[in-house]
Amino acid sequence: MGLPLLSLIVFTPAIGAGVLMLLRSEGAIRWTALGVAILDLVLCIIMLARFDTTTHAMQFSERHLWVPALGISYALGVDGISALFVFLSALLGAICVLASWVAIDRRVKAFMVSLLAMQALMLGVFCALDLFLFYVFWEAMLIPMYLIIGVWGGEGRVYAAFKFFLYTLAGSVLFLIGVIVLYFNGGETFDILALTAQELPFRIQSWLFFAFLVAFAVKVPMVPLHTWLPDAHVQAPTAGSIILAGVLLKMGAYGFLRFSLPMLPEASAYYSTPMLALSALAIVYGGLLALAQDDLKKLVAYSSISHMGFVTLGIFTLNLRGLEGAILQMFNHGVTTGALFLFVGLIYERTHTRSIADYGGLMKAAPVYTAFFLLFTLSSMALPGTNSFVGELLVLSAGFAANLVVGAAAVFGALLGAAYLLGMYGKVALGPAKVSAKFKIRDLNAREMAAILPLALFVLWVGFYPKPFLGIIDASVKQLMLHVHGEGSVQ
Amino acid sequence: MTAAALLQSIVASLPEIVVVTGACILLILGQLVRKGQEQFLLSASVAVVLTAAVLTIMLAGEVRPAYTGMFIADRFSVFFKMVFYLATVLTLLLSRKYAEIEGIANSEYHVLLLLALSGMMIMASAIDLLSIYVGLELMALCTYVLTGFLRKERRSNEAALKYVILGSASTGIFLYGVSLVYGLTGTTQLDGVAAAVTGARPDPGLLLAVVFIVAGLVFKVGAVPFHMWLPDAYEGAPTTITAFMSVGPKAAGFAVILRVFLNPLVAASNAWIIVAVIAVATMALGSFSALVQDNFKRLLAYSSIAHAGFALFGVVAGGADGIASVMLYLLIYSFMNLGIFGTIIMMRNGDFSGETIDDYAGLSKSHPGLALLMLLYLFSLAGIPPTAGFFAKFYVLVALVEQGFVILAVTAVLLSVVAAYFYIRIAMLIYMREPKRAFSPALSPLLRATLAFTAAGTIGIGLFPAWFLRLAQHSVFGG
Repeated sequence: MGLPLLSLIVFTPAIGAGVLMLLRSEGAIRWTALGVAILDLVLCIIMLARFDTTTHAMQFSERHLWVPALGISYALGVDGISALFVFLSALLGAICVLASWVAIDRRVKAFMVSLLAMQALMLGVFCALDLFLFYVFWEAMLIPMYLIIGVWGGEGRVYAAFKFFLYTLAGSVLFLIGVIVLYFNGGETFDILALTAQELPFRIQSWLFFAFLVAFAVKVPMVPLHTWLPDAHVQAPTAGSIILAGVLLKMGAYGFLRFSLPMLPEASAYYSTPMLALSALAIVYGGLLALAQDDLKKLVAYSSISHMGFVTLGIFTLNLRGLEGAILQMFNHGVTTGALFLFVGLIYERTHTRSIADYGGLMKAAPVYTAFFLLFTLSSMALPGTNSFVGELLVLSAGFAANLVVGAAAVFGALLGAAYLLGMYGKVALGPAKVSAKFKIRDLNAREMAAILPLALFVLWVGFYPKPFLGIIDASVKQLMLHVHGEGSVQ
Repeated sequence: MTAAALLQSIVASLPEIVVVTGACILLILGQLVRKGQEQFLLSASVAVVLTAAVLTIMLAGEVRPAYTGMFIADRFSVFFKMVFYLATVLTLLLSRKYAEIEGIANSEYHVLLLLALSGMMIMASAIDLLSIYVGLELMALCTYVLTGFLRKERRSNEAALKYVILGSASTGIFLYGVSLVYGLTGTTQLDGVAAAVTGARPDPGLLLAVVFIVAGLVFKVGAVPFHMWLPDAYEGAPTTITAFMSVGPKAAGFAVILRVFLNPLVAASNAWIIVAVIAVATMALGSFSALVQDNFKRLLAYSSIAHAGFALFGVVAGGADGIASVMLYLLIYSFMNLGIFGTIIMMRNGDFSGETIDDYAGLSKSHPGLALLMLLYLFSLAGIPPTAGFFAKFYVLVALVEQGFVILAVTAVLLSVVAAYFYIRIAMLIYMREPKRAFSPALSPLLRATLAFTAAGTIGIGLFPAWFLRLAQHSVFGG
C-alpha cells in the first residue's frame, strides 16, 4: 500500500497552515505558503503520473473507521473525474499564493492561513469517498471563504460575505437532510460507492434530487440561485475570486456528477429536460447580464454564470459527449476564468479602477499583459485552438442531440460571449489611451508571469491536444453512463 | 428501611453527600479565610467537585437504586453528573479573576455553586416526582441568589427578583401537578405515573396534571412559552453565573425531561406532539429574537433558547438515538458555551464591560489568538463542521430522520441557518471592523488554561466524535 498519497495531498496545505501560524516575518510567510502550495502541486502531479487511465475504479483508496457507530469512515480515493479537479485545485492554489503576493498587504499571515486551509478543504471535497466526510469538507469551506471575502475584500465585502455564507449554508443544510435520508434508505452507510450501488425507489430519488439540487445549484450557480455570485466575486480579493470561479463553482457540478447522476439515475433522467432548460436560461441570461456590465470583474463574474450553464447543460444531456465535454469544460473554465480574474486583479493593482470606461489603449502601455489577456479572452469565447473550444463543441453537439431549442439557445449564448468578451477587450486594450495616460502602468513582472504561464500552457495544451485530458476522465465517464442508462448505452 | 438498604442508599448517593458536606464545611471555613486568600476557596471547591467526580466514576459500574425508589445511580445519571462537574469546575476556574474584579469572591459564592451542583445531581438521579422537586428547588434557590449576587447593581437585583418570582410560580405549578398526580394515582414514582398516564383510558385530570408538570420543567430549560425570564436573568446575573446557568441547570432540566418523557411507556403515547410544537416554537423564537440583540449576554440568552429548542428535537425523536443525541448535544454545548462565555468574562476588566457586541469590533487586530478562539466557539454554536457543534446537530438530525420526522428535521436546519446569521455577525465584528479602543483582557494563566480546555473539547469532539458518541449511547437508560 505504501504512502497514503491522497491524505498527503489533502493535509499538506493544512499542516502548512499550522506552520504559518508560528512564523512572524511576512516574507517568510509568503515564501512558506508558496513552498507548501508547490509541494502540494508536485504531489498531485505524482498522483496523476501514477494514475491508471484504463480503469474506472477508485484509485489510491484509503479507508479508516471514523465513527463506527454511525457507519462513518474516513475514506479517500480518486477516479478520473475527481483526479482532474484535485489537480486543478492544487494548480490554482499555487497561483492564488502568487496572485496575493503584493495584493494582500495587511494581515498577511491570517490570509495565507485561510488560503491554505481553503485549499486543504477543497482537495478534501474532491477526494472524499464518504458522504459525511464530504459534507464536513464541503461545509467547513464556508469558514475560510467567509473570512477571505469579508476581511480582505472590496468596499462591499461584509455584505458579500454574509450573502455568500447564508446562501451556501441554506443550500447545504437541505443537502445534509438529504444525506441522512439517503443513509437510512441506503443501508445505514455513508460510503459513497456502496450508496451508488443501491437502487432507490423513484419517489425517494425524486425528493433527494431536489434536496441535492438546491445545494449544488447554489454552488454552480444556476439561475435563479445565482445572485450571491456577482457580489462575492466582485468583492473578494483576486485570490478569492480565482478560488470561487476556479474551484468552488466546480463543486456544484461535481456534486451532480458524483451524487445526483449515479445515486439518483432515474430522477436525473426524469428531470433532465427542466435541468436543460435551466442551463440554457443560465447561458443566455448570464450572457445578457455580462453584456451590460461596465465593471470588469462583474463582467467576468456574469460570464461565469453563462459558462457554468454550458457545464450543467452537458451534464444533463446524459450522453457521453455531453458529459465529457462538461467535465473538460469545468477544467477549462477553472483555468480560463481563473486567469481572467487574475488579469483583472493585476490591472486593478496598478490603476485602482475596474470600470471598463476608464480604460483604453492598454496595448501600448503593457504589451505583454494585453497579449496574454487576449489569449484568455479568446479562450473564454471558445476560439478554435483554445481549450474551451473543445469542451464547448462537445457540449453543443450533445445539446443539439438532446434538445434542439436548448442547443440553439446555447449557440446564441456562445455568440453573446463573443460579443461581450471582444467588446471588453476592445475597450480595454485598443483605442486611445485613457487611464494609462494618468498612471504609469508597468508591464508584467517575473512573479506575475510565473502565475500566468502555467495557465496559458493549459489553454493551448487542451486546445490543441485534449486527448490526455479526455483520457483521464474517459473510463470513469463511461462507467457513469453505464450506471445511468444501464447496459449497452455507451456507443 | 433496613440497615443494609440504608447503607446501600448511602453508597449510591455518596457523590451527592460529598458535595453537600463539602459545601457545609466550606461555609464554616469560609468565615476564617482572610481577604486576599480567596485562592483557598477556589482550590477547596474544585477539590470537592473532583472528589465527587472520582467517586461517581468508581460507583458507575452498576445500577444502584436507593432510598426506596426515590433515587437511582445509573449510567444515565453518571453521564449528566459528569456534565455538571464539568460545568461547575469550569465556572469556578473562570470565576477566579472575574469575581475579584467584581468583588464577589467570598465563600458564599462558592458554597452556593456547590449546593446548586448537588441539586442538579439529585435531579439527574431522581426517579420520583418528589425527589425531582427537592433537587429542582435546591438548584433553583441557589441560582436565584447567585443571579442577584452583584448586590450593588440594579440590573442584577432586578434580574434576581424576576427570576425568583417567575421561578417560584413555575415550581408552584409543577408541585400542583405533582399533587394532582398523587391524588389520582396514589404514587409519585415515575414508573407508576407513566403506567397510569398510558393506561387504557387515561383520566382527563391526569392529563391536566401532566401539562402542569411539563410547564414546570420546560421553564427550567427556557423553552417557549416559559422563556421570558431567561434573557433578563442572563443579562443581569454576573457573567460567570450566566455561563453556569446556561449549561448546568439547563442540562439538569433536560435530564428530568428525558426521564419523564422518554420513560418507555410515555414515549409510546402521543406526548411527542406537544414537545414537537414546543421545540419548533422555541427554536424559532430564540433564533429570530437573537437577530436584533446588541447585548452579548442577551444575544447568548436567546441563542441558548434556540439551542434548547434544537435539543428538544432530540426529545421528540425519542428512542435510544434520540436520548443519546440530547445527551451528546448538552455535553458539546457545555464546552462551546462555556468557551464563548469565558471570552466575555475575560474581556471584563477595569471599566470595560465587554457586554455589547460592538465592544468586540476589531478584536482580531490586537488579539489574534483570542479572536481565533471566539471564531471557533461561534462557528461551533452555529453548527459548522468540523467543530463539535456540527456533530451535535448532526446526531439530533439523524435521530429525527430515523424516526421518520423528516419535515421536523428540515424545519430545524432551516431555523439553524437563521441562527447562523447572528453568530457570523459577531465573527464579522471581530474580524472585519476597525477597533475603536485598546483591549486589555484580564488574561490569567488559569483563564488561558480554561479556554484552551474548552477549545480542545469544541474542536476535539468535532474531529473525533466516536468515543463521545459511544459514551452517550452507552449511558442511555434502559439501553
